[in-house]
Amino acid sequence: MSEEMRRDARIYLLGEEVAQYNGAYKVSRGMLDEFGPRRVIDMPISESGFAGMAIGSAMMGLRPIVEFMSWSFSLVAADPILNNAPKMLYMSGGQFGCPIVFRGNDGAGGQLGSTHSWCVEGLYSNVPGLKIAIPSNPYDAKGLMKTAIRDDDPVFFLESERLLSIKGEVPEEEYTIPFGKAAIRREGTDCTIVSWGRPVHFAMEAAETLAKEGISCEVIDGRTIRPMDWTTIFASVRKTNACVVVDQSWSFASPGSEVAAQVSEHCFDDLDHPVLRVHSDDVPAPYAQNLEQEMLPNPRKIIAAVKKVTYRA
Amino acid sequence: MPISLTMPRLSDTMEAGTVIKWNVKEGDKVRSGDIVADIETDKATMEMQCFDDGTIAKLLVEPGKQVKVGTPIAVIAAKGEDPASVGAPSGSAPAPAAAPAPKAAAPAATSSVPVTPVTPIAPATPSAPATPRAPESNADADGPRMRVSPVARRMAEGEGIDLSSVRGSGPNGRIIKRDILAASANKSAAGASIDTGTKLALRQPTVVAGAPSLFGNGPGERIVALSGMRQTIARRLVESKTSIPHYQVTMRFAMDALMAKRAEMNDAIAALAPDAGVKLSVNDFIVRACAIAMAKHPYINASFGGDHINVHGDVNVGIAISLPEERGGGLVVGVIRNADRKSLRQLSQESKFLAEKARTKGLSMDEMSGSTFTISNLGMFGVEHFTAIINPPNSAILACGAAVEQPVVRNHQLAVGWEMQATLSLDHRVIDGAMAADYLKTLKSLIETPASLTV
Repeated sequence: MSEEMRRDARIYLLGEEVAQYNGAYKVSRGMLDEFGPRRVIDMPISESGFAGMAIGSAMMGLRPIVEFMSWSFSLVAADPILNNAPKMLYMSGGQFGCPIVFRGNDGAGGQLGSTHSWCVEGLYSNVPGLKIAIPSNPYDAKGLMKTAIRDDDPVFFLESERLLSIKGEVPEEEYTIPFGKAAIRREGTDCTIVSWGRPVHFAMEAAETLAKEGISCEVIDGRTIRPMDWTTIFASVRKTNACVVVDQSWSFASPGSEVAAQVSEHCFDDLDHPVLRVHSDDVPAPYAQNLEQEMLPNPRKIIAAVKKVTYRA
Repeated sequence: MPISLTMPRLSDTMEAGTVIKWNVKEGDKVRSGDIVADIETDKATMEMQCFDDGTIAKLLVEPGKQVKVGTPIAVIAAKGEDPASVGAPSGSAPAPAAAPAPKAAAPAATSSVPVTPVTPIAPATPSAPATPRAPESNADADGPRMRVSPVARRMAEGEGIDLSSVRGSGPNGRIIKRDILAASANKSAAGASIDTGTKLALRQPTVVAGAPSLFGNGPGERIVALSGMRQTIARRLVESKTSIPHYQVTMRFAMDALMAKRAEMNDAIAALAPDAGVKLSVNDFIVRACAIAMAKHPYINASFGGDHINVHGDVNVGIAISLPEERGGGLVVGVIRNADRKSLRQLSQESKFLAEKARTKGLSMDEMSGSTFTISNLGMFGVEHFTAIINPPNSAILACGAAVEQPVVRNHQLAVGWEMQATLSLDHRVIDGAMAADYLKTLKSLIETPASLTV
């Protein structure tokens, strides 16, 4: 964010505790000192208000980054972020765009209970006009964030509290990662596992275990949900003839279901088994640690699904 | 609601099946997908899956007992039901001829009519529409519908693999990718065992350990269980030989002209199409002669139907094909459809294809059914004369010997010539002796004037 803000003076950050406290998760550490209170702005607990205000400023030419401490809190700002931002270009007949980034922690953070553990991709990917990026590692986080900030449409940037602490190589130099370009995290021949965000790590763990049992998985990290990289997914399924989708949102009407439907539609003649989905269980996120782990699309569930689609169960 | 497991129809000709082995016992918990029994059909032994979760309340059929398709063979108590109270359907042993037995003991939850809980006097008059979930429990194994994963279907098309000859290893017998890969590997290896019937035939013989025998106790003495194929051969041929009034008619054919014509045609084919891989056999000429002779003798190409005779419009010639010993032996009949409308070259290619396929990956049901007349030829083994058993529902079978070079009388002179004997076995209910002789006469004129077979 800082690199982009140095490059473009129209970019500013606002949200709860982003300035003086250096961010609830220290994501904006040092930014107030560098850019000052006009560009790094603390907001009251009023998501609907500051999201709407930021959208107005984006329509008038600024390029705001709005931090939701948790995407769970974006629900109170549903009207501006879903009803205004993604539709503005369309409803104004092209007069007003909305170059804005909403970002924050998404998904189960670890014992945060049902109301603070939302995976909003299940809800928001349903809306046309917005883009959703969901990085699984530090390198992608930087490359995708730069693309998000430079994009002229509203981008929902879904981070994971659980991934904030992971380490990875991030080059100092400038680079961007285009939207709609998946990464193949692991090549394999027996089953394609499609995932994005935190569950990519579950998928990698499952693939590691399955490899020891002689099942070779290809793990695809979608990186962005909207747009989705169908080309890479379809090509992989055509190679492996089996597909498991791992999505941390609930299964009903989720992006995972969309992938399953698209693969079934486009790769029907390539499938050896119906596409299976591994989601969070269809219950509110439990507080108890053991129950939360059980609810998530964990490696055990992924392994079971892969064995089923490869008929090794 | 208790769930009734019934004898599934595992092939389209299956009328009855035998539980070879139960893999579960009463009181066992089962889950959908569990293999509960091994079922032997007329063609093979197959695993029987159950499609429900529950507890085995009752096994109704003992291993080794054959029952008709559709007969209940076990009862599963669904979750929450007491297996002890579910039990068997009103004490009725599975009557082999019975349709699904009435489930008097089962609570008739599907019925809106209150049922008076009285023990039915006659099980044949069920008072409520019972048989709760029987159709569901075996719907997947029922009927001729084949389950194939999309990619398996596509691969089979690409490889030219006949899906009906592949056994599916997926759920509900679904044919999946690895089944096609295996079939393809077998096809190219052309040496490994392929079809289920053959595999079964290779079943380990049971060695008789030290039991004294009437026949002595030589080290090779053993008892070999009948394979599905051998059972079928045993059943069908006993049925044929004991129920059809067989008689035989033999004729001798001068083969000089045919042998010369065959050599001439093979030379021509070799010159014109050396890569076609076609070489006409004596049998190809005989198939053609038998087929086109039917036009004048339709009753040879007929089936006996109890109170009528079915004279067939198509001439489908079955060819007996022996299977190699290392594949478990046995024989099958491959069928050339509309043989009377095919050229020698087509007949040759088709019979070669059927024989090779039968001996490597096995013939499909389609390729084995629908014959209206059968030819069995042992000429290649040097046999000069034999008789064959009619292949029902045919009314005739031709047993061909070898064409042999021998002293013959031609034009009142002793000479050296080629001769062949062939013997028709016939069903006297359809064909009388004179009719058979007349057919052989036509056959003789065709064979001895081989140009007539090339037009």
